Amino acid sequence: MKIALTVNGRKVGGELEPRTLLVHYIRENLNLTGTHIGCETSYCGACTVIMDGRPVKSCTVLAVGADGADIMTIEGLARDGQLHPVQEGFWERHGLQCGYCTPGMIMAAVGLLEQNNNPSEDEIRHGIEGNLCRCTGYHNIVKAIEYASAKMRGEQPAPAEWEVTA
Amino acid sequence: MRFVDYLAPTNLDSALSAFAGGKWTVLAGGTDFYPARVGHPLTEPVLDISGLDELRGISVTDDAYRIGALTRWADIKAADLPPAFDGLRLAAAEVGGIQVQNAGTIAGNLCNASPAADGIPPLLTLDASVELASQGGQRVVPLSAFLTGYRQIDLQSGELVTAVIVPRQVEEAFSDFQKLGSRSYLVISIVMVATVIAADPEGIISDARIAVGACSPVALRLTELESELRGKHRNDRALQHLPTRHHLDRLAPIDDVRATADYRFGATLTLIRRSLRRFAESA
Repeated sequence: MKIALTVNGRKVGGELEPRTLLVHYIRENLNLTGTHIGCETSYCGACTVIMDGRPVKSCTVLAVGADGADIMTIEGLARDGQLHPVQEGFWERHGLQCGYCTPGMIMAAVGLLEQNNNPSEDEIRHGIEGNLCRCTGYHNIVKAIEYASAKMRGEQPAPAEWEVTA
Repeated sequence: MRFVDYLAPTNLDSALSAFAGGKWTVLAGGTDFYPARVGHPLTEPVLDISGLDELRGISVTDDAYRIGALTRWADIKAADLPPAFDGLRLAAAEVGGIQVQNAGTIAGNLCNASPAADGIPPLLTLDASVELASQGGQRVVPLSAFLTGYRQIDLQSGELVTAVIVPRQVEEAFSDFQKLGSRSYLVISIVMVATVIAADPEGIISDARIAVGACSPVALRLTELESELRGKHRNDRALQHLPTRHHLDRLAPIDDVRATADYRFGATLTLIRRSLRRFAESA
């Protein structure tokens, strides 16, 4: 079956076995291996990409079902060598440990901040509930998203906890 | 290499005519489709109905709300709906995580017919019906009759669910949904309780609907409890002692990895009492 879609602004497509999952298409056909496969059961969220503006788990979408869609993966975030504010937040606030969940976490956070540009801590935690971190590094992930949220509103992010002296 | 049959119709008529002519597995949001097939090759022919935009969205007529079959949980969560739908919207916010809410559809939840389906108890309290279409015509079945058993539904050959219909009866009623799991998010329920309770201006309960999920093969309304609540004042002290164990006699919870049957009985009582207290405090 033939499909045509946009991934990170680039028109891609071609003939495809209908059973191909979107995550396999992205990784194996497009060689965009930043999107990770974790559980393949839609629990872990490592495969999260943004499809037509909404974060979805690309292990539960058929590539043919994404025909005509506009997809954004982790590789599409940085522009001209500048990290996206969420990527910068993960860097600045140590939002990653082993890094396996990171692309999915970042894409879920980007989706969240597009809907709500000033989420509370609770709203952030709710927003990433579909993403699991096996290192359990959620605390700094939340701090990273708070950093990004401030940056994207044009505000100065709160100092890192380790920079605050009693 | 033989390709698996895959068809993605773009309108309902062509979907129904394809569906009438062959044995297809229907794919909508896909959130249960793939997880149920991990480790197995996909061999069945797939009818992907996710492109049927006419089945997406919520509309309202003089006597009913019509929720299109492909309406996603994220859309229900964000929809401008009257208070009686609060329970459904709370459930929508607890179906999986955000990504699952962005893909999973209301009809998929009903057709999957899990005893622990989050959408079912609130829809039972809304007296929802299921609209079905086939090439032969259309029929509307009450949700309670559509769900015939554990993962069993009354879907005839060639039929697709096209909408969920909610009659406009008690739109301003108090409505609540509670889901108990081993953690807050991304979890299969141990017990769910949905309530819709309407009271007249004096505070007398005119209509009470209480549904319990994950405690029987199909989620159930507790009709005996509902009739006992009717006619009582919202501040009646008797409400504090309802329900009791005998109100749950029709439930048949199982012992499994998530909880024991006894625990489920106890948790159900607690969740219903909590909902009744919220109702009493809602005026």
